[in-house]
Amino acid sequence: MATVTFEHVSKRFGDTRVVVDLDLEVADGELLVLVGGSGSGKSTILRMLAGLETVTSGTIRIGGREVTALPPRERDVAMVFQDYALYPHMTVRENLSLGLRLKNVPRPEIEKRVAWAAGILGMEPLLERKPKQLSGGQRQRVAMGRAMVREPLVFLFDEPLSNLDAGLRAQMRIEIGALQRRLKTTTVYVTHDQVEAMTLGDRIVVLADGRIQQVGHPIELYRAPANRFVAGFIGTPPMNFLEGSLTSANDRVAFVAEGVRVELPPARVQESGAGPVTLGVRPEDIVLDLSASRTAAGDALSGLVVLVERLGGTSHVHFDVGRHRLLASLSGDSLPEVGASVVARVRGASVHLFGSDGRALLP
Amino acid sequence: MRALGRVALYVVLALAALTFIYPFLWMASTTFKSLSEIGTLSLIPDRPTLDNYRTMWARAPFGRALLNSALVATTITLSVLVSGSITAYAMARLNYRGRAVLNAVTMAVLLIPGQLTLIPLYTLIVQLGWVDTYAALIVPYLFNATAILMLRQFFLQIPQSLVDSARMDGMSELRILFTIFWPLAKPVLATVAIFTFMGSWNEVLWPLLVVREQQLMTLPQLLTVFALGGGAGTIGVSMASAMVLVVPVVLAYAFLQRYFIESMAGSGVKG
Repeated sequence: MATVTFEHVSKRFGDTRVVVDLDLEVADGELLVLVGGSGSGKSTILRMLAGLETVTSGTIRIGGREVTALPPRERDVAMVFQDYALYPHMTVRENLSLGLRLKNVPRPEIEKRVAWAAGILGMEPLLERKPKQLSGGQRQRVAMGRAMVREPLVFLFDEPLSNLDAGLRAQMRIEIGALQRRLKTTTVYVTHDQVEAMTLGDRIVVLADGRIQQVGHPIELYRAPANRFVAGFIGTPPMNFLEGSLTSANDRVAFVAEGVRVELPPARVQESGAGPVTLGVRPEDIVLDLSASRTAAGDALSGLVVLVERLGGTSHVHFDVGRHRLLASLSGDSLPEVGASVVARVRGASVHLFGSDGRALLP
Repeated sequence: MRALGRVALYVVLALAALTFIYPFLWMASTTFKSLSEIGTLSLIPDRPTLDNYRTMWARAPFGRALLNSALVATTITLSVLVSGSITAYAMARLNYRGRAVLNAVTMAVLLIPGQLTLIPLYTLIVQLGWVDTYAALIVPYLFNATAILMLRQFFLQIPQSLVDSARMDGMSELRILFTIFWPLAKPVLATVAIFTFMGSWNEVLWPLLVVREQQLMTLPQLLTVFALGGGAGTIGVSMASAMVLVVPVVLAYAFLQRYFIESMAGSGVKG
């Protein structure tokens, strides 16, 4: 049980700044997800915490103890790697117990812990096998077991599910979540997959270019993204963005762009000002009127359907409004045909507005 | 027509195989022939005899030379494997200032022909007073750039996460090398071992330069002095001594062949 603290941590590789002035605290027992695209610095942060990468400046603490300059083995953390990193020439049992043997843990205690981990992960029948005799999901379990038997202060996961197929990934995601809640070990989890981040994280840290874009609970990030990057990153399918400007008349503020006009709720507009803004609308916040005879009136948008993706439960309708391509996510079976005219209505209360610097303008 | 082509192919291949194997078989059979039979091309002696071996053993200290060769070749092979692995690991897996220079220098060593360093090395051995010692035979070959580069190339293919994982498990770098890398590197270690062992076992020129005392001579050296110097007397005795030289290498190859083939096959796939 331990908190993890990053204080002004930076990392450079030559002239490239990979992590810039990171301040972050992971609470005891929390599962914190670091999410971002490639080159966002998420894996570097994890490797610095593990001790596999040096820190250019700043301080890292685990459980209040400074570990910045300590080698990995003295940090009491355990890591699960993307490619599992099992020792190919050792059996599952040997893979699980090696770390403990190196720490001179007494043999009965090692056997007890291996049996415990194997029991939780359902690996008892596999203990005498070598990694290449295991499936991807089984290898992933062994990798988790190897971390568990160490009983570390902190678990580190480095994109542990990205080598698994979709079905297995969803299953392992549930298992990891359940395991973490059961063990209550502080966990830092790195992924580029926002679905994984949303479903697993107690809190999510969104990273881009080595900087924190936003930290918060998954729903908070979804409902109130701090900037355009977070808005576009969190949520599937991704948010629609429209470039335009704001006009106000009679105390009413509206967003206007070519062929688009969306009335904004007055209470939510804080800084209107002139200049270009970006409107963000989630696909599920667009309502499509499919009766073709209607024409756009008021703040409705008329569009032309260009693509319909039927996914079963929900479907994605891509349509063009002026020069903008928008995506609406619909449930139900009544869907427009490609080439049909549709009238789209945006729920004004749920839109997001971003300034030219990308910051969110609506609270 | 196709069947005919196939037959022709096998005939050609069989002839080619025969050209390679016949001289060797002839040599082997000659060692068991009596003096009167030696001129013939037949491979099966009429009256097999061990006289050639007896004569050879009586005329020069071949037993001692066999031991000398075994000692020299084994020591060198072990050292090349251990020192080569440690250096290759450092070059492949550790970050330090000057790593690129070390790589380049190691590569450059390969470009210098051995004959070029023969005279300076000989002078050095004389200055050290090592003439007629095992040190002269062994020390110059303890480190081998080819082995280092072969091992480095293999080590580079081992996933970094395995090293990371071992470091997090609390292993020292040496321990990672010998408990994680070595078991994975068996094929390339076997290849390096065979090349090194054969190279050392067959070396003639260097021992001829630094060893004059018969008791310290290696097998190929003694053989050269013995056969070329006229000590053998007959072809049968010469061939018998050549057999003594070649059999251990064939045995070593047979022993390590599985890994050796694996390594050759593997290097083709991984590229």
